[in-house]
Amino acid sequence: MAQRAVWLISHEPGTPLCGTVRFSRRYPTVEKRARVFNGASYVPIPEDGPFLKALLFELRLLDDDKDFVESRDSCSRINKTSIYGLLIGGEELWPVVAFLKNDIIYACVPLVEQTLSPRPPLISVSGVSQGFEFLFGIQDFLYSGQKNDSELNTKLSQLPDLLLQACPFGTLLDANLKNSLDNTNFASVTQPQKQPAWKTGTYKGKPQVSISITEKVKSMQYDKQGIADTWQVVGTVTCKCDLEGIMPNVTISLNLPTNGSPLQDILVHPCVTSLDSAILTSSSIDAMDDSAFSGPYKFPLTPPLESFNLCYYTSQVPVPPILGFYQLKEEEVQLRITINLKLHESVKNNFEFCEAHIPFYNRGPITHLEYKTSFGQLEVFREKSLLIWIIGQKFPKSMEISLSGTVTFGAKSHEKQPFDPICIGETAYLKLHFRILDYTLTGCYADQHSVQVFASGKPKISAYRKLISSDYYIWNSKAPAPVTYGSLLL
Amino acid sequence: MGPLSRDAWAQRLGAFRASPSAFMAGPEGEDLGRDLLGDLRSEKLSEQTKVSLLALSLEYPAQLWPDVSAAEVAATSLLDTLVLLPPRPSALRRPLLLAATTALAAGGSLGPTSGASCRLLPLLLGLAAGSDLGRGFVPASEQRPLQATACECLRELESCKPGLLGGSLGLLRGLLGQEGPVQPLSLLLALALRNTLVLQSRVGAGLGGLLTDKVPPTGGGPWDWTLVEEGDGRLQPQAPSWPAAEEGEGERSLTAREHSPEEARELRAAVIQLLDTSYLLTPVAQAQLLWLLGWALRGLQGQPPALFKPQLVRLLGTAQLTLLHAVLALKAAFGEALFTAQDEALLLRRLTLAAQHPALPPPTHLFYLHCLLSFPENWPLGPEGEEAAPLLLGPQLCRGLLPSLLHDPMALLARLHLLCLLCAEDEEEEKGQLPSPRHYLEELLAGLRQRAALDEGPRALATVCFQASYLVTRCLAGQPTVLTPLIHGLAQLYRVRPMLASHFVDFLDQVDSELREPLKVVLRQEVVSRPGRDEALCWHLKMLAKVADGDAQSATLNFLQAAAAHCTNWDLQQGLLRVCRALLRAGVRGGLVDLLQVLARQLEDPDGRDHARLYYILLAHLAGPKLGVALGPSLAPPALASSLVAENQGFVAALMVQEAPALVRLSVGSHGVKGPLPVLKLQLEALEPIYSLELRFRVEGQLYAPLEAVHVPCLCPGRPARPLLLPLQPRCPAPARLDVHALYTTSTGLTCHAHLPPLFVNFADLFLPFPKPPGGAGLGFFEELWDSCLPEGAESRVWCPLGPQGLEGLVSHHLEPFVVVAQPPTSYYVAIHLPPNSKLLLRLEAALADGVPVALRTDDWAVLPLAGDYLRGLAAAL
Repeated sequence: MAQRAVWLISHEPGTPLCGTVRFSRRYPTVEKRARVFNGASYVPIPEDGPFLKALLFELRLLDDDKDFVESRDSCSRINKTSIYGLLIGGEELWPVVAFLKNDIIYACVPLVEQTLSPRPPLISVSGVSQGFEFLFGIQDFLYSGQKNDSELNTKLSQLPDLLLQACPFGTLLDANLKNSLDNTNFASVTQPQKQPAWKTGTYKGKPQVSISITEKVKSMQYDKQGIADTWQVVGTVTCKCDLEGIMPNVTISLNLPTNGSPLQDILVHPCVTSLDSAILTSSSIDAMDDSAFSGPYKFPLTPPLESFNLCYYTSQVPVPPILGFYQLKEEEVQLRITINLKLHESVKNNFEFCEAHIPFYNRGPITHLEYKTSFGQLEVFREKSLLIWIIGQKFPKSMEISLSGTVTFGAKSHEKQPFDPICIGETAYLKLHFRILDYTLTGCYADQHSVQVFASGKPKISAYRKLISSDYYIWNSKAPAPVTYGSLLL
Repeated sequence: MGPLSRDAWAQRLGAFRASPSAFMAGPEGEDLGRDLLGDLRSEKLSEQTKVSLLALSLEYPAQLWPDVSAAEVAATSLLDTLVLLPPRPSALRRPLLLAATTALAAGGSLGPTSGASCRLLPLLLGLAAGSDLGRGFVPASEQRPLQATACECLRELESCKPGLLGGSLGLLRGLLGQEGPVQPLSLLLALALRNTLVLQSRVGAGLGGLLTDKVPPTGGGPWDWTLVEEGDGRLQPQAPSWPAAEEGEGERSLTAREHSPEEARELRAAVIQLLDTSYLLTPVAQAQLLWLLGWALRGLQGQPPALFKPQLVRLLGTAQLTLLHAVLALKAAFGEALFTAQDEALLLRRLTLAAQHPALPPPTHLFYLHCLLSFPENWPLGPEGEEAAPLLLGPQLCRGLLPSLLHDPMALLARLHLLCLLCAEDEEEEKGQLPSPRHYLEELLAGLRQRAALDEGPRALATVCFQASYLVTRCLAGQPTVLTPLIHGLAQLYRVRPMLASHFVDFLDQVDSELREPLKVVLRQEVVSRPGRDEALCWHLKMLAKVADGDAQSATLNFLQAAAAHCTNWDLQQGLLRVCRALLRAGVRGGLVDLLQVLARQLEDPDGRDHARLYYILLAHLAGPKLGVALGPSLAPPALASSLVAENQGFVAALMVQEAPALVRLSVGSHGVKGPLPVLKLQLEALEPIYSLELRFRVEGQLYAPLEAVHVPCLCPGRPARPLLLPLQPRCPAPARLDVHALYTTSTGLTCHAHLPPLFVNFADLFLPFPKPPGGAGLGFFEELWDSCLPEGAESRVWCPLGPQGLEGLVSHHLEPFVVVAQPPTSYYVAIHLPPNSKLLLRLEAALADGVPVALRTDDWAVLPLAGDYLRGLAAAL
């Protein structure tokens, strides 16, 4: 279980190479083992230049997809994971774990402890999951709190020293690189015995625990016969426990009100020491019934020093918070649109913001607009062919608002107006963006009594909640729309 | 050269990293390793610069110190530098330890004969044990970090040389029980334990007291290398033979050894100790521990896998990729022994939800999806190594894992695969389901085609459409309900966007004939039903070159005729000619002749006209099969990636005569004398089937009249051929060498030329008898000939040695046909006619035991030496 090499590459479309290697690290002792294990099928780790070129080609990030290239575009070259074979100098380097995130390509090559021909199944290669975890760890480090390029550069320059701690020989010791940073900074602190490896020091100060629950709600609404609207809540519970002692024991509970929607698909942080089987088995895969476990959801744990995601969950609430209805018709030179939005009465009518984005793809700029709205203001982005309906902080008493109008477009120019492979013809959507503070759709909450701390001193407990929209689509009900299998199950 | 400044080093390191190979080939390359070691001790450089030098040596030891001895010297130097550090905290100790370890392990000098190894190992073990190494070697503040680093170094060395720490197991266990750093010691102990178990079982030994001896193996004495040597330096994989886990070689040897109850107890205690503190490890380290222990204990008697059970519930709840992967490894290692059917179902459900959980990143989803389709089931049904949906993963569980157009290409293909597997399984029972997976699949493919048909769409949209179609044909071959709409959908896609022709050609190349043939038909239909003059003509021609065959000839030719007028540039003309070529290959003749004639006259481009004329000539002159070969794929790999070059090379191969090694063996058979001319009897033998063989002979020195070529229609190996008769027309009676060439056609249709080894016509091969005189007149006839030789001719006497067979044997064997007068066994008169018109007369009389004197006369002086040599060689020739 080890990595032969790791790279960070910035993707720079439009430049001659389309990218730059920002960081790379090779592990020669692992490479030596690879040569022995792989035998005749061994392919050495290339230098940065050839690797960059081959990886960008494979990931289709070069600017040259005009022509059909068999080694990339052939129908038989099917990749179903983020693990690639790269053709370099006539040989294929495999497996290369790689993904693009925020214009940085994260890549590494795990050691495979056997011959590569025939290729062993990925599931049997222990280094693959380690490789992913390694790259996710680097990604978290680079982007936690990072705001601009110079911060990114500072963090990149810290990487060599950090990897000397976190991955000195290619075998990852800790995916949380911040721990290694703390280690380097506080090397002189003598660690007491049985210190967990994931906790690099101890907290000194006033005990406090903060728990914040963020729920994102996504939805696909069609307003069509035979196609069901779908919606889902995805929750993330983030904690920060500032408690004294080496390994303070804490139990955090999440509670639901009586009419709350049960939490499902719960994934917990590794610091959770045990799990109730009801938590482990509550799953969105099963048909819902009244017997579903509805809490309290108890998580006994030994917290790490830093802020961590205690758990993720999903939930199926009975109704979507905002029910929408969108009709778009092409009428000769113009489009006629009608939109209705209705806030459900059970939802807290106090938004931080609420907007409906109405994009028009594959058309020219907006040249003319006539509209009538019952509420809020409309902003027009002519060049981007986009309308934004700013609804504001509150729905009116009726809880129902509407917008209708006609839009005319100019000639298409490819550079400025967005292309979309889905919104063709009358297929169109509007997307809702909203945020409600101190509210969860499931009702899920943590309060003073939700936290038990087995350590000296009574901690100050603070709890936060918010609901955010995410991928909240309302499709034109007068045209075909992409559906999921789930929405066909009525 | 004195020490470089910080900036000079920074510049040098930068240049090296930009391209190590170029730097090492340059003037500074050779000295880099030496300078680096030297400057580490320079007082002018800051610690930070030195750390960056060490970082380089951690990555590129093979470039800096390319051979074993250089690596050994480097490791020694690094250790010296470490020892010489002043006794105050320094940022160099850790990287120096890492660098020395890397130099030894990567350089290949780690071993009992390496001085540096013998210094480093006890040092590391001492540091790991937290012992006092004297002289303030480790400042107190650095002790803890160095202890961890030493463990990491030892672990790396143990990975590269399994068995290295076999003697230290007890010590490590003790340290773990006390205050040692948990993670480094746990991982080191687990690895050493695993390696020791494998190595000991291989030699049939038990663990003995290894787990309980707490004395360090050095004990002041030399390091114990026995276990390493027993292991032969073979590396140990973590999961030796997953998924074909059942009968791995390593496995069997591991299970073969039974441990004594005491050993088993100690082993179990050590494993429990490791597992109990495993929650103190980081998640990635926990995963490593589980992989190591799981596969180490697999099949080991007295070590119930239930030891792992307490960890499982905790692990199943997490979102950590490495941990869930490690659980899958345990599943593969122990199967039903650790996971009941209910456990298996739960694991599958957790995996299913992890594969779609919105809180996890897409690469994780894809990996979990792969894990689902390669899930190590307790009782797998399908063939091993092939992706399949596990039995317990029913349609209900899969619901959320099905693809939609909103997914990115990789997720879409991965989920599509699952959908195909579902469709394949549900062939019969799906009627009850609403919506049917197959219907959903059809809709999805239609959506993909619609996207691929977009004018402005990027190529990736087309690629994913064809990949999806290919995946479907692979998974659902033989299901017409799926394939028929697919074929029509693709034809429609071509109608809308012919510029995807390259994708279609590639698709046709990849799929089975079950889909290929009907798809070709509809695509051809699509192309030829057009007027042949739209802007997509180049794509149509490309498509047609792929799909044109003997069917629907007239429609195809009509299309081409119409298109010809619009083929105004070189590209289009070449495209057009490629279609003609495909038709030629398919054996189309009739209308094509006319078309080619027209093209040969009308095309604007001279190259195009030449090509058309060439095809026309080929069509007019070659028979069908030969034409097929001539226009078939080039046999020689093209030197350039140009189709024209490839085509020309194909022609060269097919139409020109190829030089080839001889596939025929030719030898001279027994000598027979008949007729007025000497005739050579030839034996032919073929090494491969060959056809239309023509043998051509050339007489060196023009001693004979030119020889006729010999023709053989066909020749097969192992089937005896009739002997060939080659009549010779000597211009003078002399032996000669015949040069032989063979021209033939192989079974692949190539015409080959081969130079065969020369044939030799011997002097005796030219002998002809005189017409037999009437009965009893032999002596007179002979005397007459004898007398006629002189005075123009020559006379001689030659001693002809006799073998054991005596004179009678010699004559009957060599001269029988030419004997005119015989008085066996003492006297023979021989008259030989040598064409064109010479004679040779021999009297063999009064033989002695070892030879016979031969009186000879000839009317041709030139024959005399040949006759002498012939007679002298006879005895030996018998």
